Amino acid sequence: MEVPILESDAETLKEISDVTGAGLELREMQKIKEYFQERKRNPTDVELQALGQSWSEHCSYKTSMPILKEYLLTIEAPQNMVVVEEDAGVVDFDEDHAYVIAFESHNHPSAIEPYGGAATGIGGILRDVVCMGAQPVALIDPLYFGRLDFADELPKGVKHPKFLFSGVVAGIRDYGNRVGIPTIAGGVFFHDGYLSNCIVNVGCIGIVKKEEIIHSRVGHPGDYFILVGGRTGRDGIHGVTFASAELHENSEHESRSAVQVGDPILKEPLIHACLEANQKTLLTGMKDLGGGGLSCAVGEMAYAAGYGAEVSLDSVPLKEQGMESWEIWVSESQERMMLSVHPDNVDEVTKIFKKWDVPCTVIGKVIPEKVLKITHNGKTILEMELDFLTKSPRYKRAYTVKEVTPVVPDLNLPDNYNNVLLDVLSSPNICSRDWVIRQYDHEVRGSTVIKPLNGKIGYYTHGDAAVVKPLRNSFKGLAITADVNPRWVTIDPYWGAASAVDEVCRNLASVGAVPHSLADCLNFGNPEKPERLGDFVQVAKGLYVVAHTMGISFVSGNVSFYNESHSGAIPPTPTILGVGIVDIRKAVTADLKGEGNKLYQIGEAEREMGGSEYYEIQNVFGNQIPRTDPHTLKLRVSTLLQAISKGFIASCHDISHGGLAVCLCEMALGGDVGVSISVDSPPDVELFSESNSRWVVEVKKGKEKEFEKLFGTEAHKLGEVSGHRIIVDGLIDLSLKEVRNAWEPPLWRMMG
Amino acid sequence: MKAEVKVELKEGVFDPEGENIKKALNLLGFSGVKDVKLAKLYTIEVDGNDNVEDMCSKLLTNPVIHKYTIRKG
Amino acid sequence: MGTSLMEDDGMSINVCILRIEGTNCEQETYDAFKELGAQPEMVHLTELTPETLFDYQCLMVPGGFSSGDYVRAGAIFAARIKSRLFSALKEYVENGYPVGGICNGFQVLVELGFLPRLSGYPEACLATNDSARFECRPTLLKLENHCAFTQKMEIGKIYEIPSAHAEGKFVSPLIEKLMESKQVIFRYCNPQGEYAGYPWNPNGSEYNIAGITNEEGNVFGMMPHPERAFFQYQNQDWTRTKNNGAHGRLFFESVLEYARRL
Repeated sequence: MEVPILESDAETLKEISDVTGAGLELREMQKIKEYFQERKRNPTDVELQALGQSWSEHCSYKTSMPILKEYLLTIEAPQNMVVVEEDAGVVDFDEDHAYVIAFESHNHPSAIEPYGGAATGIGGILRDVVCMGAQPVALIDPLYFGRLDFADELPKGVKHPKFLFSGVVAGIRDYGNRVGIPTIAGGVFFHDGYLSNCIVNVGCIGIVKKEEIIHSRVGHPGDYFILVGGRTGRDGIHGVTFASAELHENSEHESRSAVQVGDPILKEPLIHACLEANQKTLLTGMKDLGGGGLSCAVGEMAYAAGYGAEVSLDSVPLKEQGMESWEIWVSESQERMMLSVHPDNVDEVTKIFKKWDVPCTVIGKVIPEKVLKITHNGKTILEMELDFLTKSPRYKRAYTVKEVTPVVPDLNLPDNYNNVLLDVLSSPNICSRDWVIRQYDHEVRGSTVIKPLNGKIGYYTHGDAAVVKPLRNSFKGLAITADVNPRWVTIDPYWGAASAVDEVCRNLASVGAVPHSLADCLNFGNPEKPERLGDFVQVAKGLYVVAHTMGISFVSGNVSFYNESHSGAIPPTPTILGVGIVDIRKAVTADLKGEGNKLYQIGEAEREMGGSEYYEIQNVFGNQIPRTDPHTLKLRVSTLLQAISKGFIASCHDISHGGLAVCLCEMALGGDVGVSISVDSPPDVELFSESNSRWVVEVKKGKEKEFEKLFGTEAHKLGEVSGHRIIVDGLIDLSLKEVRNAWEPPLWRMMG
Repeated sequence: MKAEVKVELKEGVFDPEGENIKKALNLLGFSGVKDVKLAKLYTIEVDGNDNVEDMCSKLLTNPVIHKYTIRKG
Repeated sequence: MGTSLMEDDGMSINVCILRIEGTNCEQETYDAFKELGAQPEMVHLTELTPETLFDYQCLMVPGGFSSGDYVRAGAIFAARIKSRLFSALKEYVENGYPVGGICNGFQVLVELGFLPRLSGYPEACLATNDSARFECRPTLLKLENHCAFTQKMEIGKIYEIPSAHAEGKFVSPLIEKLMESKQVIFRYCNPQGEYAGYPWNPNGSEYNIAGITNEEGNVFGMMPHPERAFFQYQNQDWTRTKNNGAHGRLFFESVLEYARRL
């Protein structure tokens, strides 16, 4: 079908873009008009849709990439192998192996249909790892919702956070458990700002033999494009253009088709088949079909190798009858991968997929000219230069950086610290997350050696990072964690972002892991609004400053813009995923181990209480959020790792949300044993400050002197592990039972 | 021929899903909900003489916990 | 009929690890046997025939979500096995070969009608957990009686083996009989050895039943995952109790010993 843009004026061009769902801006439509004017013809509907997909923010990063390239992606590290150019990052693991990281968002679909949206998020991230030739070994799910106790009238078209939360967790659970990859790290944060736009970030880590790493580009002209996996249907059409626009009250009805439907029972053999074909060196390239479907996958694969492609839609296996050409081309139906195969190997590859009972079809071949040519039912429906198709315009949009004017609340010290602590423990962003964690099979594959919940049997606490042992014959492990405090980033994007990297590094060091690589999922509002983009720039700078000093890079990531509706934007949310390397035999958990062991605090608390849980439970606003000195962090991480390696440390937990008081409670709950400590003045700061770069460590008996020598003035003694109460001299005296009764039930109570 | 097979839990078999859905509905403000029971409904289109009763005993139900009814249309 | 055991190398037990779409614990189960020197092989149901079944001295049905748990956990896998191999499998069992089902595998053996006894139709059910939730948690099991899969363990001792399932509540009209005829092998308990309720019994199983065997003791099913407790560092609390041992390993050692002596 021809789209009459040659004859159209500016207004009509914009209308065409809206009506077809292509989501292109006027400038972009005009560029397209110029291109086709040179070719003396109108574009087909397929060509317009393909451009809409390829030039969407979600696929092209047209707004974000210039900023990221300038401020964030310049860090180099010797362990990096593949950074940012492909669907996943690849980092050196040992002599023969590398690990693979992919991290993404699935926000818009989850807000409309939480179960399907979250499940297919998991499906997609698994494919990103598999398409590098890697075996997935762990899944991560950082989630953000509105407050569960929201009782006012919901904005039109918005679902209640409880519904979204339970739907998203169920989707991740059912998909992850069925494909048999453990979901081991993540988090959930509740904040009014996510009421209309929940955030669902998903990550996957995989392991691969270096010689088996395969790239997302074709081999040579003559190679065949083989489409494998599920059939292509109408589910998921316009997923990326949907993700590149704000939600509005009719989004549910209009965009339901944009939600993809996942099938983990097809995915599981698909993963086996792809990895087997790759291991037998039968493939020249592999890419997963995600955003934009066939449209993005074929074009990008060919272009990355400097070639073009000729494809026929006639042989694409379909889910339903009567699909239009453009629907087939841009469908985002799940569980599909694209292989590039030398003609000699096509039979072998087909045999493997038949064995696993996974559909496998040749749909086209690689050609030397950098052109994409698609036919359907004998007609050419798309013919464009790949230079034009894949090179979306880049934007340097205007941005404004917000001024952070100091606001320090005038607060009296509490009368009763016990009550304050109990309130903090039961607050929604501190309380136990076992309601979520126990639904995920975090044990499948038998390689989760430090689990998300640590502690004595029958007792448990939150661990800082999970650890998997990906190889049978090696004790080398991958520690995995994800974090950010959106409240801090809202108040001060630069320091909030810097703190997120600090926290991730602290979590890794807590279990004895050397921070090794990072991935980022940057969730923001509408970047065409200067304040939002300004936040984005500040965040990029903040992330850089800590990562750069720590010597680790962002090897993979995702930007999700347009998380906004007419009630406002989400808090700027740069979720940071961190991976560390650890000898699993030396790994440390957070639960207290031994009566009589001495407790130390590394680092000092500062009066930086802005954005703290302590202020939050008192409904008080302050905007001096914690800052961080990356050099101090680096030194402390290194010293802590030495202490762990030398066997001084019985348990370790980083100080973060809720401050020292919550940290101690969590450690005590896991070990079912109390603490007896004292702190200096001022007590509110000592107990509840969330200053960065700090930990509590339990030192083994007899190792105190050596520990003190190692840390010098960077650590000071708090007290010791003892009894069955949390005792902070003169301030806190609570039984473990009271602490448990405040910390364990809240999510269960809210969710039933 | 179209057959509808409804599979339900026998009397006395605890229905945890039903219980939980009732709780969730109560929590959402539907305080009048007294009981929720789940059933599976299979709509099976058959050509020829395949016996639907056999399908029930061979796959669709576990006689220890299920009872079923068949409606042919 | 079938291949006999190799006389020279007592460890060369061929183990068939059966799978279909959705089985996802076959690798760990395979690794466990491999680690002990046996010859495990992952075999898709479509590749197993009444003849090739007897090439193996042990048959394992591992955990996972075979066929997505659609219709009922284990129901489709069981129906497909029944249609291909029922009489061969009956003969295999009657010949005393060990057949083990872990988690989904236990569900399959129950749906097949091989546990609690060879009836050919279900006389028990692993129903939805009382909590109506998927439960992934460490569980403690007390060994009540012996069977082909437990001879390296001690009756009365408590073993730490993790559970991860949504449909694990054992129900059956035959429970009293099973208790009497010593067919109940494992029961969930707390650290003090008491038969406690949730969460020690993660699913509400009658009598806290976690694993049972048939009358002859060669067919066995359990909901918890011994292949996930093969190494010390897989235990929930290994950073506290570094010398607790890995209890799941004993399960595999036991059945290999049994198979060797057949």
